[in-house]
Amino acid sequence: MLLIDRCRLTWPDFRAEYTLAVETGALCAVVGPSGGGKTTLLHMIAGFEQPESGALTLDGRSLLPLPPARRPVAIVFQDHNLFPHLTAAQNVALGLRPSLRLTDAERTAVAEALDAVELDGLEARKPGEMSGGQRQRVALARALVSHRPLILLDEPFSSLDPGLRRGMIGLVDALRRRRRITVVMTIHTPEDVMEVADQMAFVADGSVIASGPPGRVLRQYDDPRIGAFCGTG
Amino acid sequence: MFKRLGLTLLSLGLATGAALAQSKPVLTVYTYSSFSGKYGPAKTIEERFEATCNCDLQWVTAEDAGSLVGRLRLEGESTKADVVVGLDMNLAAEARNLKLFAPHGVDTKGVAVPVEWEDDTFIPFDWGYLAFVYDSNKLKTPPASLKELVENPNGPKVVLQDPRTSAPGLGFLLWMRKVYGDGADAAWAQLKPRVVTFTKGWSEAYGLFLKGEADMVMSYTTSPAYHVVAEKKDNYRAAAFSEGHYLHVELAGRTRTTKQPELAKSFLDFVLTEPFQSAIPETNWMYPAKNPASGTPAIFKDMVQPSKALIFTPEEVLENRRAFTDGWLNATSR
Amino acid sequence: MRSLSHPGSLVALAILALVVGGFATLVLAGGEKPALLAIGPYLVRVLIFSTVQAALSSLLSLVFGAALALALARRRFPGRNLVVSALGLTMVMPTIVAVFAVLAVYGRSGWLAAGLHGIGIPVEISIFGYPGILIAHVFLNAPFVARIMLDALNTVPAEQWRLAQTLGFSPAQILRHLDWPALRGEVPGLAGLVFLVCFKSFAIVLALGGGPARATLEVAIYEALKIDLDFGRAAWLAFIQTALCLALTLALNWAIARPPAAQTVRALAVRPDRTDRGLLAWDSLVLVLGLLFLAPPFLSVLAGLAHVAAVLDADFARAFATSIVIAALAALMACLMALALGGAARRFRLAARMPRLAALYDALPNTLLAVPPFALTAGLFLAIRPFVDPATAGYILLPLINGLGALPFAYRFIGPRIMIAGERYGRLSASLGLRGLDRLKIMDWPILARPLGAAFALAMALSFGDFGVVALFGGTELQTLPYLLYERLGAYRLEEASSIGLLIVLVSFVLALLSGRLSHAAD
Repeated sequence: MLLIDRCRLTWPDFRAEYTLAVETGALCAVVGPSGGGKTTLLHMIAGFEQPESGALTLDGRSLLPLPPARRPVAIVFQDHNLFPHLTAAQNVALGLRPSLRLTDAERTAVAEALDAVELDGLEARKPGEMSGGQRQRVALARALVSHRPLILLDEPFSSLDPGLRRGMIGLVDALRRRRRITVVMTIHTPEDVMEVADQMAFVADGSVIASGPPGRVLRQYDDPRIGAFCGTG
Repeated sequence: MFKRLGLTLLSLGLATGAALAQSKPVLTVYTYSSFSGKYGPAKTIEERFEATCNCDLQWVTAEDAGSLVGRLRLEGESTKADVVVGLDMNLAAEARNLKLFAPHGVDTKGVAVPVEWEDDTFIPFDWGYLAFVYDSNKLKTPPASLKELVENPNGPKVVLQDPRTSAPGLGFLLWMRKVYGDGADAAWAQLKPRVVTFTKGWSEAYGLFLKGEADMVMSYTTSPAYHVVAEKKDNYRAAAFSEGHYLHVELAGRTRTTKQPELAKSFLDFVLTEPFQSAIPETNWMYPAKNPASGTPAIFKDMVQPSKALIFTPEEVLENRRAFTDGWLNATSR
Repeated sequence: MRSLSHPGSLVALAILALVVGGFATLVLAGGEKPALLAIGPYLVRVLIFSTVQAALSSLLSLVFGAALALALARRRFPGRNLVVSALGLTMVMPTIVAVFAVLAVYGRSGWLAAGLHGIGIPVEISIFGYPGILIAHVFLNAPFVARIMLDALNTVPAEQWRLAQTLGFSPAQILRHLDWPALRGEVPGLAGLVFLVCFKSFAIVLALGGGPARATLEVAIYEALKIDLDFGRAAWLAFIQTALCLALTLALNWAIARPPAAQTVRALAVRPDRTDRGLLAWDSLVLVLGLLFLAPPFLSVLAGLAHVAAVLDADFARAFATSIVIAALAALMACLMALALGGAARRFRLAARMPRLAALYDALPNTLLAVPPFALTAGLFLAIRPFVDPATAGYILLPLINGLGALPFAYRFIGPRIMIAGERYGRLSASLGLRGLDRLKIMDWPILARPLGAAFALAMALSFGDFGVVALFGGTELQTLPYLLYERLGAYRLEEASSIGLLIVLVSFVLALLSGRLSHAAD
């Protein structure tokens, strides 16, 4: 279970305080207006931002003392996930060994991860020779290959067209069920995740203002921010 | 478009005094930069000449004597120069070959230059001897001859000028030839280990010497006078060499293309008179081509007086320079 | 042929015509056949030496510059901004000031020797030869290399820094996967630029080389022009030099293709390698060594302070005004030409999909560095002599030649930015039907304004400190500050010359500072 308890961050022009619980193996979609603090929440879990106070635990173990590389967390961004001078396989391998000196077992793991995201056969391609969807699959494969229990996805499929986007979300859903991975993903098209997400967290003004089953969260029209977001306010 | 704008800006910025003297005839005199600079004799000479000529004397400068010839060659018949002041003996033949100069028509009898003057194109306006200058506080016993300097493997380190780019550099190349003849190249090879470097021009070499990079520098016998008069320092001396010193004579001439031949001629006449000559010693640091009635200027009294003047004729220089330079190159570039 | 009517192609043709025309006029004026064979063996030796010293100079400048750039990218310390801005400065120092500055520190009676004597190590230091040439060239070029590379390092996207953090990259892996790919794109251009600058280096090589074995082709060209008046030989030597350098630049450009410019520049993420102890020690070493190497020659220039009062007179004011006007005109020319060429390169790369042709346009400014300015000036002078009064020729040629000389540097700022503007907004503006001035105003200007300012200031600084071809035209009517400096040197006034040198460096410093500020500011 991922537990975020009153984690507070302060900048000159922005304040945030997050409280959120996500069950192990669940897919939690983070939605909300842009500039509301969705990405900051993910960056805090990944360790790019350190809260001044509060607690952040995964299965009872605090993540706060750990540097980003030691956290049991993998992350996929919207852009610039891949290094343009490395092949798809090498980019995935970075998730296991940044030195790229792999053992045979690790080489197999890389192939399996590419297989899992349905990219077998494209190992030798460089990012410049792949489509946007393929590039994001490579990034996903890298997140999977390290077998970390928590994967953070920051608007990973926003630049893909709707059919491809749904397909990718289906792929994420299948993978996390098969491997019992917890997924926290920000997304600005909540309709894409209504069927697959176990949980939805609505983030605005630097805090989680509603959390629960997707349908219920988005029907809380009494909060004007949710109303405005859904276009029914 | 902006070229014209630039021209306008430039002329605004530069042509401050040009408009004042429009009505008088303009005499354009080409010279090298330090001659017309802040410390050069040009300003004094201009005042004195304009007082008598009812004309406007304007200086146009090139970097050095070599640039003067280069510029004349580039400009050809369209040159604006009426008179050129600041060529030297080693460039004279090349300058003559440009066929831009007219006979000077000046009586050069009685000039104080240590050689017989017979040239009908150029007149001398000042002269000096090449010499190695050293700091007597640091170098107690300078070599007494060129041979001693060249042949002593533990001798002082010298900084020289490249004969391909500099007048004193070429002068010293010729000096070596005068003393060693065909053995000059071997002498160069002998001297080479103690040559700190061959600079592009006199300025760099003298600067290197003053900054302590070398014990001696190729310059003129009159250089110490500058340090005595302007800086009140008497530790800089010129070394007297027993073989004699190479002579450096600076020349003036008038162009064939000038629109005012009389005015140009009267300036050349003026060059060998007291008002011009007396401006030379303490500004150009050279011997005047015509001594004042009182004899050699007082500031040069303590300078080295070479026993013998060494010199090639301009024609010899023109004929042999390439071969001399190639020999020097071969001897020193290994 | 429609593409030839584009201003970029016209500028490229004009530049080619100028260079070819200049050389051709020289050849024609030369008359009889030039005696190249006579100096053949020497020429070969000079060429070999030029190539070796230029290669070593560029290699050292690139390595030292890269180390400096990486250390500056990783570290924050008080005064860092000033240091970064000052990096552009050494390149624009007048060569004679640089020679004296290097000797003031590393010479026989320099600070280093004095220091060693002071602590009881009486060694005779002599840097004449390779050490002197390399020290001077690295002193002049490495800081410039560092500055360009620092700019490149800042283009690594923030996401990749976060990835590096999450994946736990070691400092070596960060160097390999983040820094090196960013630096690599700059290497061919910078290597070519520094190589050519050093290949043509003239006064420095003669002053510090120690003998005619250490000379460059430029010396032979100068000799042919100024002493032999053998214009034919000058033209042929100039041609040899240009052809050689051209081949080299093109080879470099071909060998290492330019990476795509489309990279988002965002708020810089924290570099995870900043906490590494070993790297901290290394960076400190690099920065301290850099400071020890670069600062003393700079400080030695300050010795000129003592006589500043003596040189501030009417002559100085006039020379100052002349220098500023000429430098501004030259900078304007350089910027306009860079804009036109950059526009052409963008068109060929993006719209016409002819990347090889575009690369040719990108390479053209660099190849200009290969053209010997003396030969070009002399040729152009001869060419325009029938039409223009010789006295006014200087007003036209001086800004033109200085502008051409500054073009490669201006292009470094402007070219890539034009590309970025096109890659980001090209399609959008095409769909909006933006053309001509409107496109310039809406699409290019917001991205180009600052690099243009930076390029203008640097081009001005370069031209301001350049003695170069003033030697042919300078005079009472066209007296620049470097010219005044030589005039004082020629009159034994070493102190006043050093004061003028200091003032030139100060003005260049202000310009370089401005250029640095502009190029480092965010879009």
